[in-house]
Amino acid sequence: MGDRLRIFLTISCLFLIWISASASIPLSESLGIAPQDLSYYKSDVIKCKDGSKKFTKEQLNDEFCDCPDGTDEPGTSACSQGKFYCRNAGHIPLTVFSSRVNDGICDCCDGSDEYNGIVNCPNTCWEAGKVAREKLQKKIAMFQNGITIRKQEVEEAKQAFAKDEAELLKLKSEEKILKEIVQKLKEQKERIEKAEEEERKKKEEEIRLKEAERKANEAKKAFEESSHDSSDQAPEKLSELPNQDAMEDHHDSAIEEKSDYTAETEISDSQAVGKVANDHDDTIAKSGDETDDTIAKSGDETYDTNEESSFSHVEKQHLVGDQDSTMLKADTDDYTRSKEAPSSHVLEQQGQVLDSTEGLSREELGRHVASRWTGENAAEEEDGVDTAKEQGHEHDEDIPEENHGGYNSYSDEDHNFDDDDFEDDPDMEFGDHEEPAGTDSSDENDKTDYSDLTSSGSSSWLDKIQQTFSNVFQAINFFKSPVNISEADTVRKKYEDSSSKLSKIQSRISSLSEKLKHDFGKDKEFYSFYDRCFETKQNKYVYKVCPFKKASQIEGHSTTQLGYWDKFEESYRVMLFSNGDRCWNGPDRTLKVRLRCGLKDELMDVDEPSRCEYVAILSTPGLCLEEKLKELQEKLEDVNASRPSIHDEL
Amino acid sequence: MPSLADRSPPILLLLLLLLLLLLLLFFSAASAWKKDEFRNCEQTPFCKRARGRKPHSIPSLSAADVSLSDGAVSARLLPSQPLRQATAGDDPESDRDPPRPLLLRLSVYPGGVLRLQIDEDPSAPRRRFQVPDVLLPDLDNRRLWLPRLSSPAAGSSSSFYLADGFEAVLIHDPFEIQVRWKGSGEPVLSLNSHGLFDFEQLRAKKNDDEDWEERFRGHTDTRPHGPQSISFDVSFHSADFVYGIPEHASSSLSLRPTSGPGVEHSEPYRLFNLDVFEYVADSPFGLYGAIPFMLSHGAGSSSGFFWLNAAEMQIDVLAPGWDDPAAPAKGRIDTLWMSEAGVVDAFFFVGPEPKDVLRQYTGITGTPAMPQEFAVAYHQCRWNYRDEQDVAAVDAGFDEHDIPYDVLWLDIEHTDGKRYFTWDRVLFPNPKEMQEKLAAKGRHMVTIVDPHIKRDDSFYIHKEATERGYYVKDATGKDFDGWCWAGSSSYGDVLNPKVREWWAEKFSFQNYVGSTPTLYIWNDMNEPSVFNIPEITMPRDAIHYGDVEHRELHNAYGYYFHMATSNGLLKRGNGKDRPFVLSRAFFAGSQRYGTVWTGDNSANWDQLRASVPMILTLGLTGLSFSGADVGGFFGNPEPELLVRWYQLGAYYPFFRAHAHQDTKRREPWLFG
Repeated sequence: MGDRLRIFLTISCLFLIWISASASIPLSESLGIAPQDLSYYKSDVIKCKDGSKKFTKEQLNDEFCDCPDGTDEPGTSACSQGKFYCRNAGHIPLTVFSSRVNDGICDCCDGSDEYNGIVNCPNTCWEAGKVAREKLQKKIAMFQNGITIRKQEVEEAKQAFAKDEAELLKLKSEEKILKEIVQKLKEQKERIEKAEEEERKKKEEEIRLKEAERKANEAKKAFEESSHDSSDQAPEKLSELPNQDAMEDHHDSAIEEKSDYTAETEISDSQAVGKVANDHDDTIAKSGDETDDTIAKSGDETYDTNEESSFSHVEKQHLVGDQDSTMLKADTDDYTRSKEAPSSHVLEQQGQVLDSTEGLSREELGRHVASRWTGENAAEEEDGVDTAKEQGHEHDEDIPEENHGGYNSYSDEDHNFDDDDFEDDPDMEFGDHEEPAGTDSSDENDKTDYSDLTSSGSSSWLDKIQQTFSNVFQAINFFKSPVNISEADTVRKKYEDSSSKLSKIQSRISSLSEKLKHDFGKDKEFYSFYDRCFETKQNKYVYKVCPFKKASQIEGHSTTQLGYWDKFEESYRVMLFSNGDRCWNGPDRTLKVRLRCGLKDELMDVDEPSRCEYVAILSTPGLCLEEKLKELQEKLEDVNASRPSIHDEL
Repeated sequence: MPSLADRSPPILLLLLLLLLLLLLLFFSAASAWKKDEFRNCEQTPFCKRARGRKPHSIPSLSAADVSLSDGAVSARLLPSQPLRQATAGDDPESDRDPPRPLLLRLSVYPGGVLRLQIDEDPSAPRRRFQVPDVLLPDLDNRRLWLPRLSSPAAGSSSSFYLADGFEAVLIHDPFEIQVRWKGSGEPVLSLNSHGLFDFEQLRAKKNDDEDWEERFRGHTDTRPHGPQSISFDVSFHSADFVYGIPEHASSSLSLRPTSGPGVEHSEPYRLFNLDVFEYVADSPFGLYGAIPFMLSHGAGSSSGFFWLNAAEMQIDVLAPGWDDPAAPAKGRIDTLWMSEAGVVDAFFFVGPEPKDVLRQYTGITGTPAMPQEFAVAYHQCRWNYRDEQDVAAVDAGFDEHDIPYDVLWLDIEHTDGKRYFTWDRVLFPNPKEMQEKLAAKGRHMVTIVDPHIKRDDSFYIHKEATERGYYVKDATGKDFDGWCWAGSSSYGDVLNPKVREWWAEKFSFQNYVGSTPTLYIWNDMNEPSVFNIPEITMPRDAIHYGDVEHRELHNAYGYYFHMATSNGLLKRGNGKDRPFVLSRAFFAGSQRYGTVWTGDNSANWDQLRASVPMILTLGLTGLSFSGADVGGFFGNPEPELLVRWYQLGAYYPFFRAHAHQDTKRREPWLFG
């Protein structure tokens, strides 16, 4: 018992001595020097690292700065440029500014930076190191998982990319074939219509002649035999009339078939078709140009309600594809409106208010003056802007909503900078808008319609068309007169079907090629981001980031664009959105999304460190990189290696 | 611009650029300072009247019954001749009753200070306002007891001892005050040498038709007590330059003449505490603070003059020859002092060295408070450090880059809806912890407390102030309701010592929840700034404690507020912790309560330049602990400008970087 106690006391004493020895390190020559640097200080005369001077061993850590770069005072605060190395056994070594040496604040967890007795810094390295190690281990584990997920995602992305590329290629060839068909059908249709027209004229002429003849006969009869019985004339006349009626009915059949087709729609329809038919070149590049044009022009264009009504009308007709070009235009209009209208509105209002503060209520005046400093609009103006924005916004919501359903999220997203296009993220809640009543069925139809194009046996539909086309060609004798009514109908129907399909293909081509031209990262790891949006709520704002498209800040009904997709920065570690809505007295808004490794794609921590310059963090497996993992593992090894043995024993 | 010259782009392009630049300049100039929103002298009747007078053109006053009483000189001022009707009709308000005598008193304080007081006699319909609590409380005890008056030349003047080598002279008819060297008789300072002394006595309205109201930009000042302005001329003899009377933005330390031969049309220097949005770098218009103290300096000697008066004041520095273009005075500077209300309570400082003038001035208004060590170090401010994370990140940024700083500031957004003494619970959930983290590294924090109190019944300060009647009243007697950051707001009547005491209590650790001993205070908007009133300040007919009109004390409002806050911090630390309070508005004596800064300047080179004479002027008028926002408050400084501003700012007594919320971040390490 006594022996044990003695041993225990001895050990304790030794331990205490060890502690006190380590706590009051004498000002040694090697103080503040990193181990890898020790050899540099071995010689008797040492060079300043910047080569400017030399100093002797006695001058090392003598509290007098000889080297401007601080080489001679690694362990004191004498040189303003110096650095102090603390070993921090049990934790990570640290290099601190020499201004931290003996400044009364514990900077190194081993307390080595405070040795003049002003403060007593306990050694906390083991505890701090433990926490740090655990953190590091967790991080490593996360990276390991993340890397696995990333691999999967990269694989999927590559497949999806290849699939999209293949689809594009196929669609392009189909487009070519279909174009020819449409062109031929159009010619037929025109020919038929011409023939019909001739037929009709001929019939009319016949009727006119007959009528004239009949009248002449009647007159003659009346004149010749006024007492004669003319009853046999009536049946003849009656039998003629139904014939004529049937003719006219037939003539109008195309219109009747789509009973509520308006003239307007027909015009835009045929225009669209005409355009497509006339473009024998590949339309992809062109359609891009056109869109650009519209965007550029749209500033001058006013929103035409006619356009809107015809447009929704067409929706009801399940003719989405045909209307595509119109829609593009409408959408870009919308987009520019919502972006520009409010700001010009504000400017106007400000201009007005600045000119005269008289006639304002006291509160208004107060708000107005305050707004000089804050840049906020006075309440009334704010309301005005909000409504303007809302209007634009609601506009946006109604129309493409229908559109969206029809294209099953593959619609022309790149032109529709509109919230609703980004609804693909299943996690998202965007319940503000209402589904316009009565469009559901059309959506459904569109979907099924479109599924023709994308279904696995999609090649068959083209074959079918080609087949029926040749059938039609064979079956119809174009020079037969009068025109066979059912044949003409078939041609017309085929023409409409085909051109509608062509439009759909073209819009799909343009959206696909728009997508594929983006840079999706080294391993295409960000491919799945294209059709996704990420949201986070902070205080009263919802932030919505749609990579490759845009980012916005939503407060209730008003949306502020923080920026439109610009590019990746810092080798795919930052997504930059720029040219957002303009700030009062400031720049256009921008958003930098910093990417970091995480197991889930998750947006967090949106911040505005400078006025209208936003930053956010998005965690994603895409950033879980092998190199980084290796780095972390090396760091952990280092930390473990520097573990003081005494702690292992205890 | 060497790169431009090197490349020599097409001239057309250059011209276009220049045109664009000019347009931009024009636009920014047009959008900045709202000159029309502030009254000029023409629009200010008392100023217009006084400025229009010629020397000796108004009926003069003479001193009668000159005598010593209670160790001071007293006299009555009466019209020199029976009143003539000659000047009637030059303006409606000159149509006066025969004046009552004015009471004059001259007293002497050690070190070469002569005090002149002129007020109405007790029969006046109302007591005029004398600014309390500015002069040092022991001043009366220090007064010299004058043993005798000498009347050398047949009773036409009375002279008496002022300081060793100096004497004061009261010339009887027309009355004039002179300070002069005793042996040579050379004058140092004089008042009313040009016969411009005019004192509008309070009177009853002649008839109901008389219109005393004044209108400016849709607002009516009821002026229930009618015209009551005072103006006089002061001459600085053996002076080549005059300095002082802050606060004005100027590129020159010495005060340029504002009137007289060779001066283009200029406003007088205006002393009227105002919250001026985007002030320009060179203008005699009034800014945030007022110290009606002027120093002169010449080859021979220096002297000073201080008028303790808190009403709107306008001061002309008259160019030589203003009185007689044929014979411009050499080595003398004449000045014209005009005030809307109050009394004459003026001090003459004999000098003769500049430092003597300062010693004499601070002998009556006090010396600067000794700041704590941290307060003279570097301060980091921004409107606004958003939340605790932001604070932590900025703090860490300084450490990371080895840049020393001692104080981190929080502007108005840290509060719960601009209710001062509260914290935004979302952004600053743990204010104490945040301050303690800074304090662990020897750093301090400053939060903003403005004088406007949000009219919100659930806000305890508003409730208390309302219940106790501690608010300034409007002309109808209701609590004045103005608009400021907090929205509809009222303002504590800090003229009342009780209100100041109440306000000071709000800074105790129990009352200011979330405050710690390392938290200090910033008083902004204390001119006071009221957004929805012409000139962005309180109406002149608002009523303070003791039925004092706001017009009478306007320039001292911020001073009393600053005083109350400073006393609050002193109390909080049981008198053992020296307060640190930054104020934007100031008055003579503010140096006793803390520091001031030059307000919302802009990030441009002109303002960098103007900050030097502005801060030096403050130093010359006793407010030595002052600074300007480093980097410029409005706008984004180019890196070169910011670097230069830091280099200069290191020499500002108060060294703080600050920026408007619309500007880009500019913590010092952000520029590479």
